Amino acid sequence: MTMDITLLFKASVKTVKTRNKAIGIGFDSGKDEILKRGRPKSGFCPKAREVVANITKLKDFLLQHRKDYVSGGSLISSEVSRMTDSERDQIDQDAQIFMRTCSEAIRTLRHEAEKQVGSAQTKDHRGAVLDLIEAYLRGVCKLYSEQRAIRVKRVVDKKRLSRLLPEHHKREVRAAVVEPAAEEQSVTEETSERSVSEAADPTGNLWEEGREEDELSPEEMQMFEQENQRLVGEMNSLVDEVKQIEGKVVEISRLQEIFAEKVLHQETEIDNIHQMVVGATENVKEGNEDIREAIKNNAGFRVWILFFLVMCSFSLLFLDWYDS
Amino acid sequence: MAAASAREKQTAALKRMLNFNAPPLNTSLSEPVWKVLIYDRFGQDIISPLLSVKELRDMGITLHLLLHSDRDPIPDVPAVYFVMPTEENIDRICQDLRNQLYEAYYLNFISAISRSKLEDIASAALAATAVTQVNKVYDQYLNFITLEDDMFILCHQNKELISYHAINRTDIQDTDMEAIMDTIVDSLFCFFVTLGAVPIIRCPRGNAAEVVAVKLDKKLRENLRDARNSLFTADNTAGQFSFQRPLFVLVDRNLDMATPLHHTWTYQALVHDVLDFHLNRVALEEGPGPDPSPSGARPKRKNRKTYDLTAADRFWQKHKGSPFPEVAEAVQEELDTYRAQEDEVKRLKCIMGLEGEDDGAISMLSDNTAKLTSAMSSLPELLEKKRLIDLHTNVATAVLDHIKSRKLDVYFEYEEKLMSKSTLDKSLLDIISDPDAGTPEDKMRLFLIFFITALQPPTESDLEQYSKALTDAGCDLSPLNYVKQWKAFTKMATPANYGNSGVKPLGLFSRVMNSGSQFVMEGVKNLVLKQHNLPVTRILDNLMEMKSHPETDDYRYFDPKMLRGSESSIPRNKNPFQEAIVFVVGGGNYVEYQNLVDYSKSKQGKKVVYGCSELFNASQFIKQLSQLGQK
Repeated sequence: MTMDITLLFKASVKTVKTRNKAIGIGFDSGKDEILKRGRPKSGFCPKAREVVANITKLKDFLLQHRKDYVSGGSLISSEVSRMTDSERDQIDQDAQIFMRTCSEAIRTLRHEAEKQVGSAQTKDHRGAVLDLIEAYLRGVCKLYSEQRAIRVKRVVDKKRLSRLLPEHHKREVRAAVVEPAAEEQSVTEETSERSVSEAADPTGNLWEEGREEDELSPEEMQMFEQENQRLVGEMNSLVDEVKQIEGKVVEISRLQEIFAEKVLHQETEIDNIHQMVVGATENVKEGNEDIREAIKNNAGFRVWILFFLVMCSFSLLFLDWYDS
Repeated sequence: MAAASAREKQTAALKRMLNFNAPPLNTSLSEPVWKVLIYDRFGQDIISPLLSVKELRDMGITLHLLLHSDRDPIPDVPAVYFVMPTEENIDRICQDLRNQLYEAYYLNFISAISRSKLEDIASAALAATAVTQVNKVYDQYLNFITLEDDMFILCHQNKELISYHAINRTDIQDTDMEAIMDTIVDSLFCFFVTLGAVPIIRCPRGNAAEVVAVKLDKKLRENLRDARNSLFTADNTAGQFSFQRPLFVLVDRNLDMATPLHHTWTYQALVHDVLDFHLNRVALEEGPGPDPSPSGARPKRKNRKTYDLTAADRFWQKHKGSPFPEVAEAVQEELDTYRAQEDEVKRLKCIMGLEGEDDGAISMLSDNTAKLTSAMSSLPELLEKKRLIDLHTNVATAVLDHIKSRKLDVYFEYEEKLMSKSTLDKSLLDIISDPDAGTPEDKMRLFLIFFITALQPPTESDLEQYSKALTDAGCDLSPLNYVKQWKAFTKMATPANYGNSGVKPLGLFSRVMNSGSQFVMEGVKNLVLKQHNLPVTRILDNLMEMKSHPETDDYRYFDPKMLRGSESSIPRNKNPFQEAIVFVVGGGNYVEYQNLVDYSKSKQGKKVVYGCSELFNASQFIKQLSQLGQK
């Protein structure tokens, strides 16, 4: 538990003031206040505050419209506050432009801060301030992307539902069409059977075949029906698969984002490593050169020593011969 | 719901302070407000075990600086100060005010500031016309360092001033003693203010602990009487659901001198004993292997790596009290699970690689994308786990090296036997004269424990023999002088009984069991600890359960809430206590702490907090004893 002694402090300020007045030291507090205000305010802080204020505005904007944005899922069209898709797109676009401008502003601030001459502490402080602002912006962007993901998912689901309904519809229609046709066919079949039974010659055969071509026999009808149904089933499964793939693609895109982040992360490190490796190869080259020179010098040195020794011995011999 | 631990309370207080003394908002996304944190060394020691740099950043602190460093003006930024109200700190703050380094000043003093110093700041602020800039001044009452949820120490910076040596030296003046006692009482007072509870104090008679208890009682009583400024008002305890008051047991180090010298076998205590470990930070020297570098090559530098062992490290929290072989096995297990998870991620990668060739892979997508997403999102967790495993592997290897080179397991076993007065299979002289069993310090420790726990003092000739053997081994005999004095002094008191303990070596099976583990523990016995109670734990048990025991019946009883202080030692309250705080005046160590933790685990629903005026390991204690013995 803590004790707030600010009041005590203010009281002691008063006592000190009265004491100073009693002693006779006066202070021109008014002038100094104005002087203090006149101190140049560095441009960094107000700009940073501005960026933060902008991001807060964006956040408020998103949160305000969030309910409307997300809520339009019901099929009952009697909701008054439902947003149209175009409005949603508008919000998306605005938010994206806003976010882009904010990140641009942060980047420019960072460049400026680096260029400005200041102490190391001020630089650290500014860097940390910018990091904080970036983290804040990232949080707000996450809000936005969550909203968007919900919306996309809802659209996909809705499409799937809406696709299924007309399929059912069509199937019913086709079934209905098939039935009266079947009834018709059965009537004509009976008549054709009767006529077939009446005729008993090959000519009747031809006529029969022609008859069968024009009017489908029940087996063929069944076959076609079955084939229809099979085709419908295949189409459905294909559509399902396509839906699934769409969903997966969305997930993959999210994964890509994560990967991209990680790769960018590693970029700086890889650059460092690259530079170090380049430096190392250069150093090794120079080292090789130095070694070569050293070997040469060594060899040359040896030659000179040998020469000197031989000269000395010859001179000794000469002196010896000269003396004797 | 149990009351929040001391550490949580202190962290909450710090966070509130960093939020300009307003309660922190819990909204997920709020505007960042940036500030600068200025602390002195005391503040640094208090903050560093509780908040990491990342947490400070999250709270909006862009820079954290020492008070007495060169600081540049950073206008338009508020500054939060967290300092002790000493003369030099106040001067430096006044200087800052005059130089107008920051835009707004929030001054927080670790313990209460006196009126005159407050007036100094006021006059400096007036002189610099910065009175409006000083927004808030607070007394934080946080003058203690919490290391664990249930362990705290008083200070780390100037601990020589209140060390065992300072309290027990023979040439101590009354004024010095007063000053030391005042510091200790101040910190304890801050502790109880933060905890928000007024305890019932019990202490033995006739030593430093009694002095501390009397002063603390007086201070608490004054504060409670002063209704206007009382720090223990009802709304402080609103968050606390325990209606019982905690028991505060003050003991003196002289009660039990053998425990600080004891060789230990649990992980945390070993790390403290063997490596450089303070404020939850361990520093390891990672040098090259034992073979010497070839001639002509530049000698490789040993780099020091520091690791933080924090509350967030789950492995540490689980295993800091386990015996060392268990820790080795647990590290191995963690490594295996980590490798299994890593393989899983790699397998997914292979599957992804095959996917392009197979047309029917579309159906495989559904399962694998989900798996991949979960693998990706769990990747940071996996990396963190790997880092922790590396950390503990390094630390445990370093400890193991020390154990092997100094044969600490032999010492541990022998000391346990000494302390439990069971039969010794090897004579003390053998161990002392054994050249490769430990450093001279280890031998000194062993001998001191023998001396302290012996029921009858050894005869003169024996003593001569031992002294000769010790000096041969290279030990310094001055601690022995002091211990002799101490023993004579406390001869009246019953000798401390260390309870029954047993140590069962599993030497036969150790090889077989540990052959699979990475840590080659051959030759290191796999010792199993049996539960036993150190003297401090036993005293606590008696007092908490209101048992009658000749040792503790004589203890004094203080209740600051009672109207009149009494000299009696009859407790008014007959119920057993649920919460207890044990404080050792003169220093403590992790062995006692571990023992108390085990005790509280064995009793359901009891909470025990351990505190000491300073934390030392055996080598530091021996140094103090030798200083004392050299007089």
